[in-house]
Amino acid sequence: MRQIGDSTFIEEVENYQGVAVIDFWAAWCGPCKMLAPIFEELNNELGDKIKFAKVNVDENPTVTNKYRIASIPTILIFKNGTVAETLIGFRPKQEIKTLLEKYV
Amino acid sequence: MGKRYDVAIVGSGPAGLSAAVNAKIRNKEIILFGYSDLSNKLIKAPKINNYLGFPNITGQELKENFQRHMEAMDIEITTERINSIYAMGDYFVLMANEKMYEAKAVILATGMEYTKPLKGEVEFLGRGVGYCATCDAPLYKGKVVTVIGYNKEAEEEANYVSELAQKLYYIPVYNGDYKLSDKIEVIKDKPVEVKGENIVTALELANSTLKTDGVFILKDSISPGQLVPGLEMEEGHIKVDRNMKTNLKGCFAAGDCIGKPYQYIKAAGEGLIAALSAVSYVDSMR
Repeated sequence: MRQIGDSTFIEEVENYQGVAVIDFWAAWCGPCKMLAPIFEELNNELGDKIKFAKVNVDENPTVTNKYRIASIPTILIFKNGTVAETLIGFRPKQEIKTLLEKYV
Repeated sequence: MGKRYDVAIVGSGPAGLSAAVNAKIRNKEIILFGYSDLSNKLIKAPKINNYLGFPNITGQELKENFQRHMEAMDIEITTERINSIYAMGDYFVLMANEKMYEAKAVILATGMEYTKPLKGEVEFLGRGVGYCATCDAPLYKGKVVTVIGYNKEAEEEANYVSELAQKLYYIPVYNGDYKLSDKIEVIKDKPVEVKGENIVTALELANSTLKTDGVFILKDSISPGQLVPGLEMEEGHIKVDRNMKTNLKGCFAAGDCIGKPYQYIKAAGEGLIAALSAVSYVDSMR
């Protein structure tokens, strides 16, 4: 899974024309660990239509503050560079997939 | 990682016990989480006259009958508190503090003992409101945090967060001696509402208002919707169909947590249905 951060976020997400799904996570967060394999599976299933990437909040305070991440995991779905959906906390795979399918 | 159980049952009231008995009869590998005293509500009941076959029984006696039944069937209760349940797709992960359990199916039989949310609590969940202070603490480095503690365990979490936060208020919702670090300010007042715009900015109390960036609410029990992220609720209860199926594949529910009337024999009956549904779900996975 691609890791992006403060230095690459504008280019990879904000200037990206299309749908990008970003998982904000940290190594110390239990629910983030549970979400990780689900995020990988979704990438395998939908990765040719949607861009998937992860942001480590510990290493990327600028982006984390900009999008006011107050709890992790948080998944942001960007469409053409703006936030279209916010999912806070662990979500079952089916719920995320159903939501993403609206954007493909 | 330990073994993957067929069915994990969360709750040791009549619904959970009946589910356990019926899943065990059908030869499933089960794990039952709950209290050694089974159910607080049960042992407090002075007289029960509507449990078929046991006229005029006390709650204590009915509890002892239930316990004998469990012993006779070799069903043990794992006395650990489940904090969260994650639907991974084909299985579930149940977290009990540091420990993790896996099961193919889950039956929720958690009763209705959780406290009502504060005004603004649900609205600001994940936008400043949290239920696990130690989980999200690093995001509040240098900020003002308020912990509303419903039990002694909350004090430990508050002490940990106070090492990172710039300022920590502790609001105890119980009486006792508080073992808190000197840096923490204890406020004895009643929380009323979490306030903010996009994110939390303040906590309103009966007699004052605290400016705060985060509010952690540490309760004894949380609502099923928070216990199992993604679980669909309806008017404060878990939404199920008549096979006790929830919206999550492999997750079933029974007893008070799915709705009224709150009665022992209804709970036990629903536990039976949930167990049979879980058994056929597990069998269909092969």
